[in-house]
Amino acid sequence: MLYRDAGQFKDTYSADQQIFPIRQDRIGVTLLVLFAFLVVPVIGNQYWLSAILIPFLVFALAALGLNILTGYAGQLSLGTAAFMAVGGFAAYNFVLRVPGMPILVSFALAGVMAALVGIVFGLPSLRIKGFYLAVATLAAQFFVVWALTKFGWFSNFSSSGVISAQTVVILGYPFDTPVRKYLLVLAIVALMALAAKNMVRSSVGRAWMAVRDMDVAAGVIGIRLMHTKLLAFAVSSFYCGVAGALYTYCYIGTVEPEAFNIELSFRVLFMIIIGGVGSILGSFLGAAFITLLPIFLNTYAEPLAHALGLQLPPGIVSNLELIIFGALIIFFLIVEPLGLARMWQITKEKMRLWPFPH
Amino acid sequence: MQFFFEVLIGGLLAGVMYSLVALGFVLIYKASGVFNFAQGAMVFFAALTFVSLVERGFSIWVAFLITFAAMVVIAIATERVVLRPLVNQAQITLFMATIGLTFVLEGLSQLFWGSQPHGLELGIEDMPLEWLSANTGINVSQFDLFAALVAGILVAGLALFFQKTRIGRALRAVADDHQAALAVGIPLQQIWAIVWTVAGFVALVSGLLWGARNGVQFALTFTALKALPVLILGGFESVAGAIIGGLIIGASEKLAEIYIPQFLNAPLSEAWGVSVNLAGLEIWFPYALALAFLLIRPEGLFGEKHIDRV
Amino acid sequence: MQDRSTSQRLSFHGALETFEVDFSGLTFSAAAEVDAFYDEIDRQLAASGRRWYFLVVYTDCIIAPEAWDSFAARGKSCNVNHSLGSVRVGASAQTRESIRQDAGRGSFRANMYDTREQAMQAIAELRRQRPGPAAAADDTFLRVDNVSLRFGGVKAITGVSFEIKRGEISSIIGPNGAGKSSMLNVINGVYHPQEGTITFLGRKRHDMDTHEAAAQGIARTFQNIALFKGMSVLDNLMTGRNLKMHCNFLQQALYLGPARREELEHRRKIEEVIDFLEIEHIRKTPVGRLPYGLQKRVELGRALAAEPTLLLLDEPMAGMNVEEKQDMCRFILDVNDQFGTTILLIEHDMGVVMDISTYVVVLDYGKKIGEGTPDDVRSDPVVISAYLGATH
Repeated sequence: MLYRDAGQFKDTYSADQQIFPIRQDRIGVTLLVLFAFLVVPVIGNQYWLSAILIPFLVFALAALGLNILTGYAGQLSLGTAAFMAVGGFAAYNFVLRVPGMPILVSFALAGVMAALVGIVFGLPSLRIKGFYLAVATLAAQFFVVWALTKFGWFSNFSSSGVISAQTVVILGYPFDTPVRKYLLVLAIVALMALAAKNMVRSSVGRAWMAVRDMDVAAGVIGIRLMHTKLLAFAVSSFYCGVAGALYTYCYIGTVEPEAFNIELSFRVLFMIIIGGVGSILGSFLGAAFITLLPIFLNTYAEPLAHALGLQLPPGIVSNLELIIFGALIIFFLIVEPLGLARMWQITKEKMRLWPFPH
Repeated sequence: MQFFFEVLIGGLLAGVMYSLVALGFVLIYKASGVFNFAQGAMVFFAALTFVSLVERGFSIWVAFLITFAAMVVIAIATERVVLRPLVNQAQITLFMATIGLTFVLEGLSQLFWGSQPHGLELGIEDMPLEWLSANTGINVSQFDLFAALVAGILVAGLALFFQKTRIGRALRAVADDHQAALAVGIPLQQIWAIVWTVAGFVALVSGLLWGARNGVQFALTFTALKALPVLILGGFESVAGAIIGGLIIGASEKLAEIYIPQFLNAPLSEAWGVSVNLAGLEIWFPYALALAFLLIRPEGLFGEKHIDRV
Repeated sequence: MQDRSTSQRLSFHGALETFEVDFSGLTFSAAAEVDAFYDEIDRQLAASGRRWYFLVVYTDCIIAPEAWDSFAARGKSCNVNHSLGSVRVGASAQTRESIRQDAGRGSFRANMYDTREQAMQAIAELRRQRPGPAAAADDTFLRVDNVSLRFGGVKAITGVSFEIKRGEISSIIGPNGAGKSSMLNVINGVYHPQEGTITFLGRKRHDMDTHEAAAQGIARTFQNIALFKGMSVLDNLMTGRNLKMHCNFLQQALYLGPARREELEHRRKIEEVIDFLEIEHIRKTPVGRLPYGLQKRVELGRALAAEPTLLLLDEPMAGMNVEEKQDMCRFILDVNDQFGTTILLIEHDMGVVMDISTYVVVLDYGKKIGEGTPDDVRSDPVVISAYLGATH
């Protein structure tokens, strides 16, 4: 009843092509954004900000990057963590070695470095398709981590390969409390998500989807396959690189190359499978889900077991996590291959009709 | 020169181990068109179950049978819960479902049996073969030779199975097109249950051999990843390819690990002014090799060429 | 009624390669008046010795129903013989209405602009995309010379030659496996022939590259629908215009400004195609959910969205019932009529082929076994025994 679009006629094409054509959506999203920027910093406690919201945002950004490459352009990638690693270490080295480098610029340059690496490892996509391509990205994953560990220059010759991120200072203003870091990450992620949405609804996004759906037909229409694929790799890696920089500077603080391992890559892949491939919203939903699930399990597994009268052996929670993850992935692939985003869409469609059945 | 042969043969025999895992992949891919990422988890599960049973006092043969029974149960469960609902979906969807399956199996394994590493004794020692070492000075592990023998027998059996039997033909039809096979009356569900059971058997054998060599621990699940370059080289659909690919990967990996640092550490250190140690490159070398190969021949040595008809 | 003479209403703009006809304020109440006007137009165009872009101003022009048929026929022949493309400015409501009612057409929106400036811009856009007209010599539209195509040991096409004239609807027919789709693929650049040459718009070359073919104005549909199943109808049509969109990805990430303008401009053009094909009601539907007949129509729309010079249709009526086929025929004929697009189609339905084509090429086992007008081909004994069947 509330979610009607009756009476909302679009009489210009620009109105029809808005990101949120339905007025209720616009109101809802505006409120959400205001809430995130104005209310959360005030009411959020340290734990929620540092351990839940910031990683959620950082991973949402990485998931966005992967979604652009795998969900929109159809190039399966198992090397997300490697590109994040490039971003993290590049940002560190730029700040370290270039005196007076503003930190936002170093984040952007870190993204560019990651984009360059992405292009190199994306070159095989011109010849190889499907999960053969996944092998190329696996090569990237293992090689990058090995290189960052082996060549001490990247970690400034620290003995264990660990780097400690410097404090984020923008225009003399330090971003060292959870609230400030949260706002910084939120601003960056929000802007990049908007940019991603704009790209995806323009001709570049359509070119990506065309290549994903049927690349021979796309070639026939005049879409340049090489440009399109490499651009997908570049943009996607840029996003993952910035995510890696944010991961290093605003979340973990000290990081070593092995932290960006293949398990992390799989984690981001699961985010987009569960959240929804080929959907900007899906990246956020998936990131929220995967970030919150372990916390949920950790908090509620014990009390639940006690309530049921079961004795939980130690280490069970992490195994449970694995099993539930796996089961959920299979569940989503069977029931709703387009993930939470599609479920949300269906819900909205039902809300438009409610209380009528059709 | 002796050392070179030792490394080479050691690499070839390690490659045989990779081939065994790759074999499980090829089986399932040939028969259902599914790239079963969970093969590694199956190896792990089989090895862990076997070892835990033996440690609880069961004899080797009984433990083997019980474990095999467990693999059969897993195969049937997988077919019912994962494969049947996803009939005729895109390959990539099935692949991701097997990733989910991997996690479930890993979690279950550790849930039942705990997560400590175990040693595994099969009665064959990892010692150099006496007469070879005495006559030629080359040390080759008895165990590696035993593994190669087992692999050989397994491969011969499977190759015969696919080429000569009716079921083998049916399997190849299923791999091509699920719906068409159904339409022709091939009992898809039974076939898949059979195939996954056979793959489970291969996983069990691989698990025993790998576990005996490297110990039974969580890292065993990553053997799946090791098998990928093998499959790329050999093609996803060829049993012979899995063997030969495994040999090539195993040999080149070991040779590269030993000789590339030997030749490049010093010159690079000098050129860059820092101490360079390229050790550990065997972690990515097989992938790079597979990648280079893909660029020249996207279908692998023995794979089938795909033609895109418009 | 006529304050200016006929010849004062006709002007040539050499630098813009445009021929302007000013019908504004005129009333045509009889066929004779139409003929008189068009005779003068034809005379001047023939004297010029070359083709032009047409700019026709219809503001406040009234065409009586009696004169309409003559007007349409003369206009069409003028287009076919002398034009490189045409744009129209304005049409009085009465004209539009009378056209709609009497000619029974659903839309007459194509290439119509509100002001002369917009029309001139459209011509500039057309000119930008087409290679300049050859000063003299090769006026060939499309010619295929002695093309041979092999896949390993399989000979798909052997020594086939034929020529297609601008503005015509031509067909390739033949039994399955004769190499018809392969022939289209060669023209389009998907396959590269081992021997032979292709001449398109006067330029001769050994083979085409798909991107080049698309840039030169060749668009096509496929036998098995090659739509992008993950996208909506609107998005599929918009991909047809990808070559014409020039903003880079950074501008598109920003969206405000040039990217937005470009997006809206092309959306406007796409809506014309949507109107033309009567698919307004399914604009936002994901293509994978549409019934087969509508998918074929959307695929045609994607090809039309590119404003092609040459349209290659691979079995556009396959799998359709009688009504759907009639609709498709109507669209194909309209495309040829209104936009002057040259069409080359592969089709098995002989009724359709004979009705709408002016020229037919017959292939069998990769070789050409007959060509000519539909009547010629229908009575050719070689063709009959290979394909049509004896009792025809």
